[in-house]
Amino acid sequence: MTTTTPSTTPARKSESIFWRRFRKSTPGKVGGIVVIIFILLAVFAQVLRPYDPTTDRNYRLNLKPPSITALWNPEAKETYTDAVTGKTNLWAAPFGTDNLGRDVFARVLHGTRISLKVGVVSTILALVIGSLLGVLAGYFGGWLDNVLGYLSDVMLAFPSILLAIGFASIFSVDNPPILIAAMDRLFALNSPQLVTAMLAVSLVQVPVYLRLARSVVLSVREREFVQAAGALGASQWRMIFKHVLPNSLSPLIVQGALSIATATIEVAALGFLGIGAQPPLPEWGTMISDSRSYYVDYPWTMIFPGLAIFLTVLGFNLLGDGLRDVLDPRSA
Amino acid sequence: MGSYLIRRIVRTLLVMLGISLVVFVFVRSIPGDPAVAMLGERATPAAAAALREQLGLNKPWFFNPANPLDAQYPKYIAALVQGDLGSGLKSNIPVRDELSSRFPATAELSIAALLFALVVGMPAGILAALRRNTGWDNLATGISLVGVSMPVFWLGLLLSYFFAVKLGWLPPSARLGYEYTIQPITGFYLIDSVLRGNGGAFWDALKHLILPAIALGSIPLAIISRITRSSLLDVLGQDYVRTARAKGLAANAVTIKHALRNALLPVVTVIGLQAGALLGGAVLTETIFSWPGIGSWIYEAIAQRDYPIIQGGVIFAALVVSVVNLLVDLSYAALDPRIQYG
Repeated sequence: MTTTTPSTTPARKSESIFWRRFRKSTPGKVGGIVVIIFILLAVFAQVLRPYDPTTDRNYRLNLKPPSITALWNPEAKETYTDAVTGKTNLWAAPFGTDNLGRDVFARVLHGTRISLKVGVVSTILALVIGSLLGVLAGYFGGWLDNVLGYLSDVMLAFPSILLAIGFASIFSVDNPPILIAAMDRLFALNSPQLVTAMLAVSLVQVPVYLRLARSVVLSVREREFVQAAGALGASQWRMIFKHVLPNSLSPLIVQGALSIATATIEVAALGFLGIGAQPPLPEWGTMISDSRSYYVDYPWTMIFPGLAIFLTVLGFNLLGDGLRDVLDPRSA
Repeated sequence: MGSYLIRRIVRTLLVMLGISLVVFVFVRSIPGDPAVAMLGERATPAAAAALREQLGLNKPWFFNPANPLDAQYPKYIAALVQGDLGSGLKSNIPVRDELSSRFPATAELSIAALLFALVVGMPAGILAALRRNTGWDNLATGISLVGVSMPVFWLGLLLSYFFAVKLGWLPPSARLGYEYTIQPITGFYLIDSVLRGNGGAFWDALKHLILPAIALGSIPLAIISRITRSSLLDVLGQDYVRTARAKGLAANAVTIKHALRNALLPVVTVIGLQAGALLGGAVLTETIFSWPGIGSWIYEAIAQRDYPIIQGGVIFAALVVSVVNLLVDLSYAALDPRIQYG
């Protein structure tokens, strides 16, 4: 006789409710598709257009307009036409080239890898650390709650970009601390400054999760099933990790998707200010910063990296809105 | 209310103390020697040591066993309480003086940005709520999504490219053209030019203000329109609004007198909470538009390791944010009589 274990049935059922609701949410669908496209671009960047940021230079082809303009611009047509075969290659540099003759498209494409990695990692770090602290503060209350509440008040009083600038400027040195060097290796970012910027952005988000998790735990803690578990003699850790935390995840996941959007913008802003990723790394904010001295005459060097930031952030914001419709309908 | 007020103020003071501690430790952890930064790379070690001695940088941070008060942090707090923030290492201008001359620039820009956000964001949110699930609603929601997803620095560059470089309608940077000067009274150029009766300077200052204000106001605009919409929808669904309609009141009267007044409370809160976001955004906006305010000043100071300026500027920004948060909290009680503080 076969028996289905009781735990699998509700899980599958809730999964189907999730998808049914998610399919009805237009923002969720659009955001999901945008995010998936960017993930695919990041994964297959090296296949779509192989690129090495340290060697790819071509001074004869610097600051040329997007190759598609060859259709109507005779000068661009001459640039992108092979002298031997006479063929015009409209895909030679779809986004134009920068001051070092590098293909802006290839750099934006490979920037996807950096921005997604940095956005996701910094958000996960903040989510894990902030939620754990928030759960502890909400569950135990007392002096722990007071101290953590005070610390997050202090951190939230700083404009976040200033706190991130401060943090990033402390550690941006030639000999990075071991933790930063290790994370640099782990995520293959090849830039300790970028790791520092990532940690800075993550740090700024910690109090957000701390407060959110705390408030959710405060309400979940009083629910009957948690009280019942307590009455049945469950240990405190079992109560926290088996009963309270799993039932507090929805708002944290929604906030997570929205945070990836914020983190992407802030890491790019640090790069733009010269504190995050350093050239020649194809990070979007750093690319815009590079273009500041010549974008007036060659605007494509500024427009396309910015468009990439904008679309990524828009995708994650839409996804976050969609997830909220599905997981947390009351707060919409 | 009285005991709540005291508790809330004590909490703000404690947060300010925390802020000063965080900034103190941060600034002293930035790599590089400020004495060397001041004297230049070719300074002799003896000269650098003498300068460190003179600046008190050779003292222990928090506690000096020989003389408990002869340490950097106690001295720094004592000076801070007296309003003494030290002097810029390069310029030697007192930080307090430069702060007071630059703050009006940042305040003028932030207020203009907030006004822009309110004037566009609130009507958009109201329209979206009144015409729910129509094209207007989608348009307003779309604008607000674009607003929060647009990096401020990219929007700033785009605006300056199209409206300053390509169309030549508005100036790309600075606060005022070279041909004008305004003798400061309040430090707000728009107000000062009117007080001095200088119409040309007024228009020029206004033209310089438009692009940075739009760039800085984009995120508050998005947030304000979103909150206005959801708050108004919430109120419109309540019983007393239905009662007012059932009494036969005109639709406009119900919307304006009954619903809107109550729906705006969360909007006021959100406006207050934008203070931090505006000051943070000012760092980027001022850098792009060469706006001579606090944001661009702190950014330059970080590049030059000018400790007193970073310290003073960041503390000032954080203090502004905590004071605004305090005022927002207190204004709840004034605006909503239902809220009682024990």
